[in-house]
Amino acid sequence: MTVEKKPVKKPRGKARLIEGRCIACGARCESSCPVNIISMNDAGEPVINAEKCIGCVKCVKVCPAQAIDMFFTPEEQQLLDELMKTADAALEEDDPEAAALASKLAQYRNVWVFIEQTEGEPARVSWELLGKGRELADALGVELIAVVFGEKVENLCHESFAYGADKAYLVDAPVFRFYRTEVYLKALCQLIETHKPEIILMGATGLGRDLAGAVATVVGTGLTADCTGLGIDDKRNLMQTRPAFGGNIMATIMCDKFRPQMATVRPHVMTLPERREGASGEIVPISCPIDEKDILTKVLEVINDKKGKDHVDVAGAEFIVSGGRGMMGPANFALLKELADELGGVVGASRSAVDAGWMPHDRQVGQTGKTVRPKIYIACGISGAIQHLVGMQDSDLIIAINRDKEAPIFEVAHYGIVGDLFQVVPELVLGIRELKQQ
Amino acid sequence: MTPNFIIYAPLLAVSLLFFSWSCYKRFALIAVGQPENRFEQLDQRIMGVLTYALGQKRVMARSFGLNHAVIFWAFLVLLLANGEFLISGLFPALNLALLPGPIHHLLQFAFDAVSLLALAGVVLAAGRRLFFAPDYMETSYTSAKSAEAFLILGSIALLMLAYFGLHGAMIAMGKESATYMPVSGLASTLLAAVPAENLQALVSFFWWLHALVLLLFINYLPHSKHMHILTAIPNCFFKSLEKPNTQPREEFVKGGRFGAGSVDQLAWKDLLDGFSCTECGRCQSVCPAAITGKPLNPRQVVHDIKINLLKGSLEQDSYVPGQPLIGTGEGSVSEDAIWSCTTCGACMAACPVLIEQMPKVVKMRRHLVQMKSQFPEELLNLFENMEGRSNPWGIAPTDRTKWYATMDVKPFDADTTEYLLYVGCAGSFDSRQKHVTVALAHILDAAGISWGILGKEELCCGDSLRRLGNEFVFDKLAKQNVALFNEKRITKVITQCPHCFTTLKNDYRQYGLELEVIHHSELIDSLLTSGKLKLNHQVKELGKIAFHDSCYLGRHNDVYDPPRNVIAAATGSAPQEFERNHENSFCCGAGGGRMWMEEQLGSRINLNRIEEALAGKPDTLCVSCPYCLTMFADGIKDLQADQIQVKDIAEVVAEGLRPVNQ
Amino acid sequence: MLIVVCIKQVPDTTQVQIDPVTNTLVREGIPFIANPYDTHALEEALRLKDQFGMRVVAVSMGPPNAEATLRKALAVGADEAILLSDRVFGGADTLATSNVLSAAIKKLNEQEEVGLVLCGKQTIDGDTAQVGPGIATRNGYSQLTLVDRVDQVDLAGKKIRVRRKLEGRHEIVEAPMPAMLTVVRELNRPRYPTVPLRLESEDREVKVWNNEALKLDVNSIGLKGSPTWVSRIFSPEREKGEIVGDGLHDPKGTSRLLIEKLLSKDLLPV
Repeated sequence: MTVEKKPVKKPRGKARLIEGRCIACGARCESSCPVNIISMNDAGEPVINAEKCIGCVKCVKVCPAQAIDMFFTPEEQQLLDELMKTADAALEEDDPEAAALASKLAQYRNVWVFIEQTEGEPARVSWELLGKGRELADALGVELIAVVFGEKVENLCHESFAYGADKAYLVDAPVFRFYRTEVYLKALCQLIETHKPEIILMGATGLGRDLAGAVATVVGTGLTADCTGLGIDDKRNLMQTRPAFGGNIMATIMCDKFRPQMATVRPHVMTLPERREGASGEIVPISCPIDEKDILTKVLEVINDKKGKDHVDVAGAEFIVSGGRGMMGPANFALLKELADELGGVVGASRSAVDAGWMPHDRQVGQTGKTVRPKIYIACGISGAIQHLVGMQDSDLIIAINRDKEAPIFEVAHYGIVGDLFQVVPELVLGIRELKQQ
Repeated sequence: MTPNFIIYAPLLAVSLLFFSWSCYKRFALIAVGQPENRFEQLDQRIMGVLTYALGQKRVMARSFGLNHAVIFWAFLVLLLANGEFLISGLFPALNLALLPGPIHHLLQFAFDAVSLLALAGVVLAAGRRLFFAPDYMETSYTSAKSAEAFLILGSIALLMLAYFGLHGAMIAMGKESATYMPVSGLASTLLAAVPAENLQALVSFFWWLHALVLLLFINYLPHSKHMHILTAIPNCFFKSLEKPNTQPREEFVKGGRFGAGSVDQLAWKDLLDGFSCTECGRCQSVCPAAITGKPLNPRQVVHDIKINLLKGSLEQDSYVPGQPLIGTGEGSVSEDAIWSCTTCGACMAACPVLIEQMPKVVKMRRHLVQMKSQFPEELLNLFENMEGRSNPWGIAPTDRTKWYATMDVKPFDADTTEYLLYVGCAGSFDSRQKHVTVALAHILDAAGISWGILGKEELCCGDSLRRLGNEFVFDKLAKQNVALFNEKRITKVITQCPHCFTTLKNDYRQYGLELEVIHHSELIDSLLTSGKLKLNHQVKELGKIAFHDSCYLGRHNDVYDPPRNVIAAATGSAPQEFERNHENSFCCGAGGGRMWMEEQLGSRINLNRIEEALAGKPDTLCVSCPYCLTMFADGIKDLQADQIQVKDIAEVVAEGLRPVNQ
Repeated sequence: MLIVVCIKQVPDTTQVQIDPVTNTLVREGIPFIANPYDTHALEEALRLKDQFGMRVVAVSMGPPNAEATLRKALAVGADEAILLSDRVFGGADTLATSNVLSAAIKKLNEQEEVGLVLCGKQTIDGDTAQVGPGIATRNGYSQLTLVDRVDQVDLAGKKIRVRRKLEGRHEIVEAPMPAMLTVVRELNRPRYPTVPLRLESEDREVKVWNNEALKLDVNSIGLKGSPTWVSRIFSPEREKGEIVGDGLHDPKGTSRLLIEKLLSKDLLPV
């Protein structure tokens, strides 16, 4: 006697939100649901109508915060466990879509780094990117290619080789002298179309971001800004890690179905590779027929900020050396000026120093002054009253020099020096000068 | 005594008519102000009249004020004499002699005596104006030696002299007896040389002199600062029964006008204030802004409102202002003046006739902020931070719990905790004030108080918003807070900031929230008195302690003794007093939202106060307010007076909680 | 002529933190605000409106509650507000977002000529600075990013001249209109709304356009039209502050030590 063996249906479970995990990423789960049973509440969190859930797991996969999981009733769980025991080795599903995608992606090879220059002067971040690009290219087993645009910039190709590039694409014509979005955009898109890179890295500078955003739109691919970490996963995809929510969280971004994978990286994030003098590579000249007559956008003037000393813009400065009441008097601000000059920055002041009349009000940093976000903020003789802190605490790096080790400024400082600023600051100036002479 | 009825009767009638018309014109102008109920709680209002008007309490708060009080009381008595004079001029038979003899004699003596006092008073007043005038009598629109002042003083002197002349002559003629009029009797001896036939002419002369001066005086009143003779008593009656800074709410409906941008947008009482000002200059003499050379002078504000009101025209039912209320020139208040106010309330505490100077400034701020979006640029940050993150600095609300990193602090729960410790923005975020919060928490624990906090749910009380005239955002914040307090069933609140204290206690009452709000100095005082809090040792390490009254604790809420008691109990001796103390205390410079603005005009208010402190050579300045703490710490550094430290009262007490061996 | 201002409603990022214990994002009670950079774009649009009488339309793509942010734009003086909201727009990265925004701008252009599009230089939640260039590229507008001054708007000649703020330098650029500008904070100081305008804005209409209005291919918008996706989030390693050396007794050595530390991080511009 045989009993007909009824196939047991594998329970699929219901999607469920895990309390406190949702980051309100922007309704990814809602958009991924094929049966439209996820809606968003005012806080941007999903409300899942579990009754109607078909258990497709799409929302679970798409959630960046692993905030959704599948819920099984105890009976279902039991069934699932039994099935697991009896099931054969898990079968990999064959996916024809995946195969098609793989072959599309395979057409794209090599890592490109866009070499940024202004009037022939290269941006240091480009060399930093060559260092990172080298690592990525080695991991992928492909070439690292420098992309150089400009007028009379062939020397930058050689420079690129010194920093690790295997090859350089050179677009050299008068129309490329000044960066203009439409000109550079056209050339780079043409280059991408012909040579199909898998990764393009650019500096997250004003120029780099301007160009990258436009290129990614035309090419129709993903672009990740301000990466702080780049790596390759086991499927040759670029893992792009970047800060989000104002740096309060880090996110790893993937662009695994499109090529090229584009990323920008802020200056000083990647280390500068060692320069190999005399390294050589192949320069591939590219001609890009663009007529100046067709370009209506004109760069009328380039103003070098270092030359225009009359106006000091504390709010936009990259390096700020600020003084507070600890400066003891207006004359001592000359000390800070020296340090600021060495760094190419400006002198700021706390409210007390401004109140005392030592510095003009347009230099004031804080609640009732300017809010600043420089790369380095050096607070000298500033105790760190809350009204000052709110104006500068978002600086990338804060250095505090103060005699009072209890001063609240040390709570926000990355580096603190407890000492006499009148001794420390001149030593810093000397140290940096020596460095420059080397 | 037979004045010519034909001449006198029409003269009197014209005078009275003109006087009535002048008064009517002015009172009609007052009526263009916005409605405001100032009739509730009549008992308190009558007490106000008795104390401040009839009792001259504020007038006599300064030594020379006695002189005014004497003239005032003399005038009250002479009101009867002059009434009789005017009436009996028409109907000679109607006079006080109709009264029973002893009463008539008593009145005769009283009139005679107080006339002498009044005469002496005006002579002294004139002498002071001429030779010993204090600086604060000077201002842009009047001075100690103003013609108006001498006209009035001269008139009063003439009235008194005419009185003595008239009665002296009558006595000399034998028509009156000197028995009950010793001064007039003295005058009669001076007239002894006058031939008898001329005495009647003298009587007529003095009678007409008295009558003319009196009628002129009456008619001059409504056109001068002496209008206050008519308005001061009602002004005291209509005084604000609210705490000085508890502004009326505004209703935010579409099409509304908010704040006061023209004179008719002020309340009628504000306009009455304008006519009540005696131009004594006392508000000017205590105003921190005026003292430190800023463009604000509370007296000028009141004067400008009066001038502005008079420049407008009343047509049919509508009033057309003659010039903008906020602007430049006499009759307008400058924006710089409006933003200079610290809302310390010193002007209001000094005013003898209970004028409300500071609320007018806040009303004008309301107009600038809400109707014009015109304010010092530093405030933009503040307003946005308040609305977005409910604290002045825009710090994340989650950081509100950071102060107690190492302590075990419970959230407030109506079922298990008695008090809410409302930490406040400064107590939560300002690194210096966080020490005070920790000190207070230790004290509460040491006394076995059951307390909890709102943590990151706590919102700003909105004090600065309200004082700065951003009533719209304050209103939103207040409603949120009231809802939160109701939801949590909070009834007892401890604050360490006088600004939170006054806002929760007085301002939120307008939103129907009745709380028992206790400033930490009051609480610590009662804990020490009841013995619940015991110190481990007497605090000697802070040296000589001077105590500074915070405006919002002292002047605005009458809390003067508790902090002094606390210092006395903790240190074993009463604190040293500033020269300006209690209700005369001088602002630190940060109130009224000035904390969030630059102080670019005049000299610095905090330095003025620190210099005053230095005179007493204290070792420690004790405060009870986070703003004062910041301002004084800054001031001390500016003056390089590092030998002095600033401590909150909670820190002084916490010092005494340290184990003796440490 | 229209000026379109793109505004994004963002969570107030200063308040977003990762719970150190559970390692999850703490978002409870975090308010949404208008992206601060976008408020400068709106301000500049309002100033141009005051000067040239152009109409200002505020546009935002987001969930229904983003209406609040658009209402604030009305409260400072925007003439019209349009919310682009549809569940198929959700989950979009910058590429898909610029697609929706540029389509909406094209639709507006059919009604009235769009002369300028203004955006903040980036958002504070994403910090990508990519949507502006995306819009410019899709619509064929001149692309002027990082504008810190608008020097000249020539409506007749359809030209605009601006100053751009770049690293260590500024550029004066002239470009034909229509143009897309992304702006930096230094450009202006946003105005504060008056209470009457605020009250009035409460009743004004915020139009909602969904994909039926824009008719975009669902594969080019929202999650489906987004090439990038977030695979993981985690808490950044917070560097704790450190006291360097002994500045009181050895200022020279301490200074050198600090310089070395900065050098090792490549932070010194030498």
